Amino acid sequence: MTPLVATYALNFVYQVEILALVVLGLGVVFGLLGVMNMAHGEFVMLGAYSVIVVQRMGLPFLWGLPVTLVVCIVIGWVAERLIVRPLRDRPIDTLLGTWGLSLLMRKGVEAVFGKGYQNVNGQLTGTIHLLGTTYPTYRIVLIVAIAVGFALLAWWYLRSPAGTRVKAVVGNPVLAQAVGINTQRMATTTFVCGVTVAGLAGFALAPLVTIEPDMGLNFLLNGFFVLIVGGLGGLVGLGVGSGVIGGAQVLVASLINQTAGYLTVLIIAIVFIWLKPNGLVPRR
Amino acid sequence: MAWSRAARPTALLVVLLAVPLATSDYFAYELGLYLLYGIAAQGVGLAWGRAGFLPLGQALFFGLGAYLTGFVLKGAAVHGSWVLVLLLVAVALPTALAYLIGRLVFARSHANGPDFPLITLALTMLGYQIANQWTSVTGGFNGLTGIPQLPGLDRYGVGFYDLVAVVCVLSTAGVAWLQRTPLGTLWSATAQNEDRLQFFGFPTDRLKSVAFAVSAFLAAVAGLLYAPQQGLVTPLSVGFELSAGFLIWAAVGGRASPYGALLGAVFIGLLSMELRNRFTYWEVVIALIFIVVVLRFPVGIIGGVERAWSWLFPGHGRLTATRPVAAPGSRLATTSVPRLAYEAVEVVKGGVRILDGLRMTVDQPGIHCIIGPNGAGKTSSFNVLTGRLPLTSGRIRLSGRDVSRARADVMARLGVGRKFQIPSVFGGLSVTDNIRIGLWANRIGGMDLLRGAPQAWSTPLLLRLQRAFPFLEDSQQRRAGTLSQGQRQMLEFAMTALAEPNLLLLDEPCAGLSPDETQHLSSVIADVVRSLGATALMIEHDMAAVEALADDVFVLHQGSLMAAGSYAEIRSNRDVQAIYAGGRK
Repeated sequence: MTPLVATYALNFVYQVEILALVVLGLGVVFGLLGVMNMAHGEFVMLGAYSVIVVQRMGLPFLWGLPVTLVVCIVIGWVAERLIVRPLRDRPIDTLLGTWGLSLLMRKGVEAVFGKGYQNVNGQLTGTIHLLGTTYPTYRIVLIVAIAVGFALLAWWYLRSPAGTRVKAVVGNPVLAQAVGINTQRMATTTFVCGVTVAGLAGFALAPLVTIEPDMGLNFLLNGFFVLIVGGLGGLVGLGVGSGVIGGAQVLVASLINQTAGYLTVLIIAIVFIWLKPNGLVPRR
Repeated sequence: MAWSRAARPTALLVVLLAVPLATSDYFAYELGLYLLYGIAAQGVGLAWGRAGFLPLGQALFFGLGAYLTGFVLKGAAVHGSWVLVLLLVAVALPTALAYLIGRLVFARSHANGPDFPLITLALTMLGYQIANQWTSVTGGFNGLTGIPQLPGLDRYGVGFYDLVAVVCVLSTAGVAWLQRTPLGTLWSATAQNEDRLQFFGFPTDRLKSVAFAVSAFLAAVAGLLYAPQQGLVTPLSVGFELSAGFLIWAAVGGRASPYGALLGAVFIGLLSMELRNRFTYWEVVIALIFIVVVLRFPVGIIGGVERAWSWLFPGHGRLTATRPVAAPGSRLATTSVPRLAYEAVEVVKGGVRILDGLRMTVDQPGIHCIIGPNGAGKTSSFNVLTGRLPLTSGRIRLSGRDVSRARADVMARLGVGRKFQIPSVFGGLSVTDNIRIGLWANRIGGMDLLRGAPQAWSTPLLLRLQRAFPFLEDSQQRRAGTLSQGQRQMLEFAMTALAEPNLLLLDEPCAGLSPDETQHLSSVIADVVRSLGATALMIEHDMAAVEALADDVFVLHQGSLMAAGSYAEIRSNRDVQAIYAGGRK
């Protein structure tokens, strides 16, 4: 493998994994609750701003992790109680309510931190020699950590009783309730976990991206495109969708420019709505 | 009545024109901007409050209109007398773009899904990126500067404000008028039960695309006035923040009414003018207000005002009855008897064989009953015929035409009417509006969608049905959702029959009715089917009803036809007896 190809391959893997991590929560909440959480990207943003808070207090980077967890769990729980739950079974109002939430979070952060771009000090700024190329250590760590995380998740989903309960609720929520699964509690847990994973993604990405109050929207849209292309067929669909969207974006953006990459992804999404409305890996 | 319709816009015009006289020119200039935003918000209100879909990227059309107008006005010296034509293009282009987007997305996506909102949001963000980066054309981040004023109208002067006020009143009156037309009723029906409307033969994706085009037209008109008013168009006017603003204004003011959207834009605009520089958390407050409106107060300010008004002055604003007009003949109007043939139809879904090589032919008018145990595939045979269940193999022909994969609205236009087992009516519309939609099916089209006459259409069949079901006349203004189960069954049958289809699919029309009601509805069905000379396929479990109504009987069992013949023949058929007695599987 030539160094250039290796770099591109690693970039691709990195992009796909990041995308999959961000979409995971969005897809699980949509699949299980039927709620398209318009504020999903804003939780990524909150994760990134948690790191900024920690850094301003002079604490090390990893302190951002507990801060992210606390912030996302608290806000996610409150949002589920006050916005998502009262609007269940009213899809348009759910969209509006979570859109209002995303506005609230954007404007809140903007009022506190200002509109401008912010940066976080780089972490593990060294490089590693791999596959004949040199690659930033921090990214390698992320690639490995996310891959391990997904493997654990798949194992948990396939093996644990809780995973079976999740499958039951997806398959038939009414029956699941009838056999004694507390679907209400599961809805809350799902929503909180979904947004917290998004927050973790924001935390992990903080040293690599420019941080601003509106950064969440692109994550939301890319996540939505991944769901359209991949479908709701579990982790495989998530991987396939992330591969197509992430791949197309990286390829076109590096060949032409960012806007063209964005346009390509949008066109792919519309084509999928036309030809394959259930995505490549539909829910059975 | 003409007066009362003109009263509100006239009052609005007087108030708006009086503002600069009572306040300062500066205030009028600011108010003019909010009125412009209000026009665009009216478009969002029309799409979301009326037709039931959520445009999250409306600034795309506002900004496109503004940029195009900027180009035209800047080039005015060169183009001279072409300016007016080019300004029309500046509005027509965004309108056409919206129609195209609507057709593309609505054709394949479900009404309430997130597809449309998110794609419009993505489009507006794409628009922002393009406006930002295509510096040679748009001026990039700094925007398109030095846009001249409209000839003879100082942008800070009263003349320009008056122009804005007049356009604003026109758009308000125009939207209010559209909502009163049959098209407006059909938009409401789409928002409430898109599926049902398709079964009346209306291509709802086109109805929604038209609504979206109208909303984009309003946004583009606002953008057209915005460019000379500001003298500057930046990428922000294509961006998602302004799009979110349009939505918030429509929601807070009241999305269902053009006055509401306008009021919301002006109210929040003026408030933010006051508070923007004094209170850092101002926009957080707006977001909170928006969430509260969505959760607790969906009618918005104007809805609250209207409720208070009708509480203070009950009976005000009720429409008086109009004189009935004879409806035109049904567009089907083919007296030929439909020939329906299921040719080895197979439907497999999720590993279950729902229909297993169903062969069934119907070519005589009259009532044909379909019976069979639960799970025999009775309702599925209707679903596969009306495009609600994809067919795995085989073919369905209707009068020689292959309709195996036709959509619900196409089947309705081919003369297939369907009544559902669980009565499906437009619950938020009045009984009269429900009846009208039945009458309009296969009759209304083109300019009639914008005329008042179809509201008063009547047919001999309607009179007959009103005699049979007196509540149709007695509770005209009642919302259909508040009717009893029996009345909803009768209303839905009446709507289906009023379209005068030549093939009626009736799925347990008497389900949930008392014995008396069952007998009454059965006799009306028999009467209507014979007087229309139609063919009816009726799924029925009540053997007494089958005996009384059926000209012949089909027995379905495990997804295929087991027996067919007269009631007496079926009754003496041993196989049929066996499946009903549980004799064999």
